[in-house]
Amino acid sequence: MIYDTAIIGGGIMGCGSALRLAQGGQRVIVLDQGDLGQGASGVNAGTLSLQIKRVKLMPYALKGHACWEAMGKAVGFAKTGGYTLAFNAREAALLQERQTLKAQAGAPIEFVSNNQLRNGEPNLTQQVVSASYCAEDGYANASLTGQYYLGKLRDAGIEYRERCEVTAIERDKNFKLTTPQGTINATRILLAAGAWLKPLAALMDVHLPVQARVNTVTVTERMPPLMSTVIGHATGLLTMKQKANGTLLIGGGWQGLGTPQEGRGRVSVDTVRPNLALAQYAVPALGTARILRSWTGFEANVPDFYPLAGVLPGVEGAYVLGCVRGGYTIGPYISQLMGDYILGREPELPLFDPGRDFKEGTI
Amino acid sequence: MIRLVPNHALKIVRSAPVVFTFDGQSVEGHAGENLAGALLRAGRLHLRNAPANGGPRGAFCCMGLCQECTVRIDGQVVEACRTEVTQGLAVERAG
Amino acid sequence: MSDRFDIIVVGGGPSGARAALAASAQGLNVALIDEQSAIGGQVWRAKNASILSAPKTHETRAGDALRRDVLASDITHIEGARVWQIETGWTLHVLRKDVSSELTCKSLVLATGAREYVQPVPGWTTSGVLGLAGATALFKQSLTPPGKRTIVSGTGPLVFFVASEIRRLGGEVAAVVTPNSRRDWMRALPSMLGRPALLMRGAIWVADLMLAGVPIYWQRVVTDVSGDDQVRGVSIAKLDQNWARTSEDIMLAADSLCLGNGLIPNIEAAHMLGVPIRHDHALGGWIPETTEDGGTSIDRLYLCGDGTGIRGAEAAAHQGTLTGLCAAADLGHGTVNLQKQAKAKWLKSARFGMTMTALSIPRVGQAQLTTPETIVCRCENVTRATIEAELNAGAQSSNAIKSGSRAGMGPCGGKFCATAIAQLIAQQSGAPVANIPPATPRPPLRPVPLSIAAGSFDYDALPIPKPAPL
Ligand SMILES: Cc1cc2nc3c(=O)[nH]c(=O)nc-3n(C[C@H](O)[C@@H](O)[C@H](O)COP(=O)(O)OP(=O)(O)OC[C@H]3O[C@@H](n4cnc5c(N)ncnc54)[C@H](O)[C@@H]3O)c2cc1C
Ligand SMILES: Cc1cc2nc3c(=O)[nH]c(=O)nc-3n(C[C@H](O)[C@H](O)[C@H](O)COP(=O)(O)OP(=O)(O)OC[C@H]3O[C@@H](n4cnc5c(N)ncnc54)[C@H](O)[C@@H]3O)c2cc1C
Ligand code: FES
Repeated sequence: MIYDTAIIGGGIMGCGSALRLAQGGQRVIVLDQGDLGQGASGVNAGTLSLQIKRVKLMPYALKGHACWEAMGKAVGFAKTGGYTLAFNAREAALLQERQTLKAQAGAPIEFVSNNQLRNGEPNLTQQVVSASYCAEDGYANASLTGQYYLGKLRDAGIEYRERCEVTAIERDKNFKLTTPQGTINATRILLAAGAWLKPLAALMDVHLPVQARVNTVTVTERMPPLMSTVIGHATGLLTMKQKANGTLLIGGGWQGLGTPQEGRGRVSVDTVRPNLALAQYAVPALGTARILRSWTGFEANVPDFYPLAGVLPGVEGAYVLGCVRGGYTIGPYISQLMGDYILGREPELPLFDPGRDFKEGTI
Repeated sequence: MIRLVPNHALKIVRSAPVVFTFDGQSVEGHAGENLAGALLRAGRLHLRNAPANGGPRGAFCCMGLCQECTVRIDGQVVEACRTEVTQGLAVERAG
Repeated sequence: MSDRFDIIVVGGGPSGARAALAASAQGLNVALIDEQSAIGGQVWRAKNASILSAPKTHETRAGDALRRDVLASDITHIEGARVWQIETGWTLHVLRKDVSSELTCKSLVLATGAREYVQPVPGWTTSGVLGLAGATALFKQSLTPPGKRTIVSGTGPLVFFVASEIRRLGGEVAAVVTPNSRRDWMRALPSMLGRPALLMRGAIWVADLMLAGVPIYWQRVVTDVSGDDQVRGVSIAKLDQNWARTSEDIMLAADSLCLGNGLIPNIEAAHMLGVPIRHDHALGGWIPETTEDGGTSIDRLYLCGDGTGIRGAEAAAHQGTLTGLCAAADLGHGTVNLQKQAKAKWLKSARFGMTMTALSIPRVGQAQLTTPETIVCRCENVTRATIEAELNAGAQSSNAIKSGSRAGMGPCGGKFCATAIAQLIAQQSGAPVANIPPATPRPPLRPVPLSIAAGSFDYDALPIPKPAPL
């Protein structure tokens, strides 16, 4: 059995690409070292916010939002709108500068008056000096990613293997992937291994300058309604929302400990504390909410913080997709582009050459 | 009737009674005991409502782990099995 | 507050307290932390402050002796203190009286004990259903029976102890129901003969129940609990050797029920710190990997007591002594002789303890008591049917079930549903439960109010790293 494409990594990037390739008539298989969608795609904060997307990625993020909206209830999608807050003059200046550029890039972001803000979110602190709003913002439930894509793969008749780590890749006529469940043969491969892209590419002696951040998220018990939108902070160091069930999810990219090679990361109290403090500062009534769980996930990036999406440098027939900042939001869309590219079609928006020079700001 | 296990109920001396409220109704307990015990003796077993129509719940593990006995005091959710009864304490049903 | 100790012991039950005493006797600076307000652990939990006087029992005497020993030692006992997170190296975040503080130490001993397993049956969430072991916690601290007329159901010796305690505290036992057969007990007899005092206590409990005319239903099980906001009655049915039901239900009336299926070790703290875990039915399920002396694969981390496998209070105490001595020796204090003695006592008492644990090892039929409509995850209210739908949709692990169905995502952190969920996965996949680890444990170890976790802070002093790239 020789697959048209074997996809290594069953996160959003891998599963999304698989669906597109299968639609295009390819016979694909998805391999994951753990369970599908339990990597970054399953543990992230689920924020779908244009206000925290990079300016150059805005067109992708807008398309990504549309994908999530279409997935709807099955992924816990909610379009709630979202506020980004500044608590002092320095942050207000930062907010002004950043949101103006993002609005120019196509995000429907506006600045709101204190009254509008109070009406929208009465439980916010009085300390807000400036706030932006985006009606497109919202969230989906990241823990449903695995379940959702698993169902989609099954519906599409796509094969997948869980607990199936690729430990060696050989190339003669085809690619031969060594796994604990036997050798998988495929004409093409797509590396979609998230924070594990570097060791995976190294199996073919390709160096990808991938680093991993260890982002932390915390969830509280169910609380009476405290907020109805996604709340963020001008620095990006706070994102929070209250789910329909009353639980509050608090994130903001605070760093835990550990590396992808060691397995799972560890929560660091030193960084969880300021994250929670910032949340309570924004919404003082959060103080009584009991925190139930904090966890970490690995978010991959390259030095210029733009995606890897294209041909694996120097290996014909091998592709790579990952390191997308805001990858939960953008993933369902950019994986379609990747699928189109592998199918030999012209993608609707340009991809990001993994062979580029990675000096910051070169795109 | 012969009992091999004696009945000690009448030999137990408890501290002075205190009165607290549960959902506005007065309940008598003893200073220094935990809320779950006092409420149970008063026949008040239903301490919280489980989410998604899970119905009435009450103390289950009695050791501070299961979170079934949680009640609200001053807006804060606490475990009734680990909270001391005091005079005038206002306890509300959680969930 | 940041205090550096040579050794911190988490858990003031027989195991942790003995570990602390052993290490302290070697001249080390030891702290003993427990979330209870007194030493004693689960087995010797102390009376609460409302009890001015009460007749002494075997448990109160043993507990008082342990409390006296700790008081007379140089141990710093930090009571009413919940360890909510532990960081390698070792820093413990401790919640006490609405304040969180940090304690540090060179070596850490975890003696976190056990909790109980209750097989979900229809109605087990009704108020008035207490855990069987949980009921003893109520008796020990509040000296209060669970209701006016109680049915006591469960495995091992605990079911008779609970029934007897209810009678001692002035309650009425409507019936005792136990999945164990008389034959199960006959098999345990040889090992019990080595413990005549315990055998005698057990005999008195059973004889007293019989004299009082309390029906004892052997090889029976509670299949259903009825009542809306309080227990009104239970159904029971007969079981075969494999604990599959073989008869129609009969109904018994009662206003309360104590229900349990044995104990499971509290492994979360050790597991989170990276100690590998393995499954052993004979020790209560998932246990952390330790050496006989309590050492782990992690430097200066030690484990002892029922948290390393259910062997009972006596074994827990000896294992604590052994582990405390080893932890002290690794810091350069102590002799091998004492360790040898403690180890011999531990191994002997462990053999007896495991005979008792064996009476509670789940058998294949047990899982069928959980019907499709039965709530499995109490916190999130997830039924067996929902979990099975998830399994049918392709979920194959505890983590996948948790993500997809919320089972195990609630305030208890999956402590009371993990075993039943693994059972359901095993059944569906045909894999042994030993291949189905619990979901990844996540801090905090106990729920913590956000304001306390965050601590006091000054906005301008918040460490704000450089903003994300534009
Ligand atoms: C509810 C219950 C009742 C029991 N009753 C009996 C009985 O009556 N007779 C009997 O023979 N066996 C009983 N057992 C069995 C029990 O496991 C004993 O064998 C014995 O108590 C084990 O001793 P240990 O020291 O290992 O653990 P334990 O006695 O359980 O002690 C562990 C201690 O650690 C503390 N702890 C755990 N985590 C934390 C944390 N994060 N922060 C602070 N403190 C923490 C707990 O408060 C507890 O006091 C009971 C078990 C349970 C769960
Ligand atoms: C904590 C956190 C919070 C975040 N919050 C947000 C947010 O709010 N909004 C947003 O838009 N984005 C967010 N992100 C980013 C987003 O989650 C990621 O960009 C996105 O999920 C990446 O998807 P992926 O498929 O590339 O990686 P992953 O989901 O990590 O998938 C990679 C998969 O590859 C598998 N794998 C690795 N190596 C091998 C191998 N050798 N063999 C087989 N399988 C292998 C892994 O098991 C894994 O399942 C967050 C990220 C984290 C970590
Ligand atoms: S009864 Fe379980 S936490 Fe109180």
